[in-house]
Amino acid sequence: MPQDNRPQQPAGPHGEGPRPDDQGMGRRDFLKRVGAAAGVAGLAAAGYVTLHDPTGEAGLAMPPPIRLPNYFASVYDKFSASDPRLVIARTSGEQTILETVRKALAPMGGIERFVQHGDVVLLKPNVAFDRAPALATTTNPEVVAAVAQLCFGAGASQVLITDNPIEAPQNCFYKSRITEAAQRTGATLMLPSSSRFRDVEIRPGAPDPTRNEALGTWQILYEPLRAANKVIGLPIVKDHNLARGSLSMKNWYGLLGGRRNQFHQAIHEVISDLGYMISPTLVIADGTRVLMRNGPTGGRIDDVKQAGTIVAAVDQVACDAWCYENLLERDPARLAYLEYAEQKFGEGIGEKRFGQRDWKAYRDRGLITEV
Amino acid sequence: MTRTDMNKNDTSSTRGGTGGGLWRITTARIASQAFFFAAFVGLIAVTSYVYLADNPRLISWVSKLLEIDPLVGISTALTTRTIYSGLIFSLVILLLTIALGRVFCNWVCPFGTLHHFTGWAFGRFTTKQRIDANRYRPSYAIKYMILIAMLVAAMFGSLQIGLLDPIATIHRSVTIGVMPGLQEASPATFGDIRVYHLAWLVGLMLLALVLLNLLIPRFFCRVLCPLGALLGMFSRFSLWRVHRDKDKCTSCGLCRTHCEGACDPDTSLRKSECLVCFNCVDDCPHGALKFGYLPPTDTQVTNPDLDRRKVVIAGLAGLAFIPLAKAGGKTTKDFQSSVIRPPGSVEEQEFLKRCIKCGQCMRVCPTNVVQPAALEAGIEGLWTPVMNYRVGACQLNCVACGQVCPTGAIQRISIEQKLGVGKYAAAGAIRLGMANYDLGRCLPWGKGMPCVVCEEVCPVSPKAIYTEWRQFVMRHGKKMITAASAQTLTLAEMPHGGQLRPDPTVLQPNSLQGDDSQRFYVRVHHASGTTETHRIIANSVDTVRIDGAFARVPGNNDIAVLLNEVQVPIIDSARCIGCGLCERECVIIGDRRGVYVTAAGETRSHGYGERDRSIRLIK
Repeated sequence: MPQDNRPQQPAGPHGEGPRPDDQGMGRRDFLKRVGAAAGVAGLAAAGYVTLHDPTGEAGLAMPPPIRLPNYFASVYDKFSASDPRLVIARTSGEQTILETVRKALAPMGGIERFVQHGDVVLLKPNVAFDRAPALATTTNPEVVAAVAQLCFGAGASQVLITDNPIEAPQNCFYKSRITEAAQRTGATLMLPSSSRFRDVEIRPGAPDPTRNEALGTWQILYEPLRAANKVIGLPIVKDHNLARGSLSMKNWYGLLGGRRNQFHQAIHEVISDLGYMISPTLVIADGTRVLMRNGPTGGRIDDVKQAGTIVAAVDQVACDAWCYENLLERDPARLAYLEYAEQKFGEGIGEKRFGQRDWKAYRDRGLITEV
Repeated sequence: MTRTDMNKNDTSSTRGGTGGGLWRITTARIASQAFFFAAFVGLIAVTSYVYLADNPRLISWVSKLLEIDPLVGISTALTTRTIYSGLIFSLVILLLTIALGRVFCNWVCPFGTLHHFTGWAFGRFTTKQRIDANRYRPSYAIKYMILIAMLVAAMFGSLQIGLLDPIATIHRSVTIGVMPGLQEASPATFGDIRVYHLAWLVGLMLLALVLLNLLIPRFFCRVLCPLGALLGMFSRFSLWRVHRDKDKCTSCGLCRTHCEGACDPDTSLRKSECLVCFNCVDDCPHGALKFGYLPPTDTQVTNPDLDRRKVVIAGLAGLAFIPLAKAGGKTTKDFQSSVIRPPGSVEEQEFLKRCIKCGQCMRVCPTNVVQPAALEAGIEGLWTPVMNYRVGACQLNCVACGQVCPTGAIQRISIEQKLGVGKYAAAGAIRLGMANYDLGRCLPWGKGMPCVVCEEVCPVSPKAIYTEWRQFVMRHGKKMITAASAQTLTLAEMPHGGQLRPDPTVLQPNSLQGDDSQRFYVRVHHASGTTETHRIIANSVDTVRIDGAFARVPGNNDIAVLLNEVQVPIIDSARCIGCGLCERECVIIGDRRGVYVTAAGETRSHGYGERDRSIRLIK
């Protein structure tokens, strides 16, 4: 029951003049007290109104998904109609891997066509398992070191190396000797940690299974992709029990987080989506030794074929088709994801590619070179 | 005067205050308390699916007392950065507190009224004892520390205010701890008997909090209540408060006789403790106490009894709770498959940012399937709702739990959204989890017995459980043929090496005729290595007659295998919504069911990265 009950008496029993009580109740004090109450009330009201979420939808809104840039766009213009899209380089004699990689890039204009001064280059080798290099389940550390060295030589300000392995990342990078390759060349390892992942929109809306689509928005190891302006895929060519071959497109699996174990329900749809997801600057496939059986984990030296081959490509379909036929020695017509990839690359990011998806046609037109 | 009426309408000559007429401000207060307590009882009473189905306009009212609770509004704002739906109404209480002090506590709060009433009815204090019992004690600052710890925990994503928030506590206590007892006493009045997991614990907490009033009057309100503490923080700004006129006051202390807040009206009024019950104004024999606008500050203690040390200790306690609660990994890697949340629930970590453990969803659920969790969802998830499909199953065309949820832990979904029809067809049905068969326990799968109750009750259309005929070799089903015609076989037991006697025959006359739910076959293994299988239409103890004729009449010493064919149930992972009706109706009762639902496959976590618990890539 509010009532004005301020002391009215001008004088109290304490002596002459106003009571001490009244002295505190000047205009200043009045304004201070009413102002404080009004201020707190106003803040509370403003906070409530600002934060109000009538339907509950605002509280559940996720940050808008990120889209990956096209890492090939700046290179596209530098290609002429007659430049090769795929170069196969074989080691000969005492050639080092560095020399072989350089040889593979030469017909496409060398690393300088892909990496310019000041670029931050992300290398994505396959480091999926905790295995020694000789077992051919992870990308050859010499290939990783050679590409890092070439990038630095072309003026790259930073070379990042990343992968999201199946087994413990530290162990995988160490055992595959890619940690050592990074240390040797001055490249920076970026191991996966939960804060480095973001939701990336691979395609807007829900995937359409009738068009062999499987991924819409997915958790991606985004921090290295954001830091870099050039991305070079460094897959190893190897057998895969379910997908039949683990090649350049399958290599991007290592950029994904989330529930990757669901991918095996539609492996060819997913692999072609991975190729669709990213438009790399360049792909350099490691065919120095090839795991022919028991992939992708391998583990027996008898399963490894010494192939001495490096394949440089700006076209993932062509790269995978060639490696599957010539290194894994199988019929690419039976590799379902190649067909799906050709369907998918014709739209969207395909515009930034060369339009021609058929690797056999490349060969006919001299767009494939062996050196 | 050993005990006065709560009404204080005795005509004691010592009364001064606001006047001794028929109308007192305390009368209005008691009327308000009675009104809001009756409202609470009434709203709890109508929070039943059957009643709300007939009176849908009441749905937005049944959780209103929870929605006007500023602790719910502010703490969920800290966890979710939003104020959900009706929680905006709590602003009214907040503004009221800034103007008039903690009037909510002694005019509105039904839990406060319960404690007030208990103290009045059972407190055995003489006036002198009462005056002593209502003196402020340092322990009354504990509630501020509880509040700070809970708000700090909320800032880091764990909403624990529901453990002690008075409105959530009284709703939960009545739903889980009181109603089952009343229902037991009179199902006709209070509805069918409900069961709740660990109900005794909830009931015991209520009992303990009520009994503690006998030790310290309004123990809960003064010592524990985090909502009271929050309002105390705001009431320091209040423009009106009880004011003592020093000139009239004789310091007799009688104003403390019925002081509910223990706010020391006889000396310097503790603004944050005063519950604005007006008993002091009523009790003062000298008329020295008035409810005044902006009285001088030298007769009040403005701030709560907090110092930096207490704030830091409470803050650290709240902060320490986060790693301790989260380290178990129950919301991430060690998520328990039994944590199946009601339909419309948000993802688990988001859920724990919202759920205030009020139990409204459990109260409204028509099937009793929504149960308070123990520790399966981690220490954070105590008393949050989980589905128990041995108790009930999620009714297909019901979304009542989300309608009454005050905080959006369970969203207000529509039936169309739940079932994934109409404009929600592309999103698909909301899946609570997925059913699985325990192949050893399921009667057809493990025992070769016909059953498939689960398929029959599956409410999804088309059914998420389908059946397939499967053949199992019968026990002792391997026989030796001693004679055969085109349509009949005479069978004998197989010779058993080393055994004195063969197995007894298992055949009863015409026991292999079969019916719609079970069929019997005989598979003949010819000596040549070929086999042929035929349905049995009749049998005696040692002969079987088949439907049709053998392609090749079996010879002596050929082998005949008797086969039992039943329908086995199979889950269609694209259709199962995890409603649990199959589990509830499973015939394997009194134990783990032959079919059971786990949270794996739930849709609420879809899109949450590593916490995504969906099974299918293509949804």
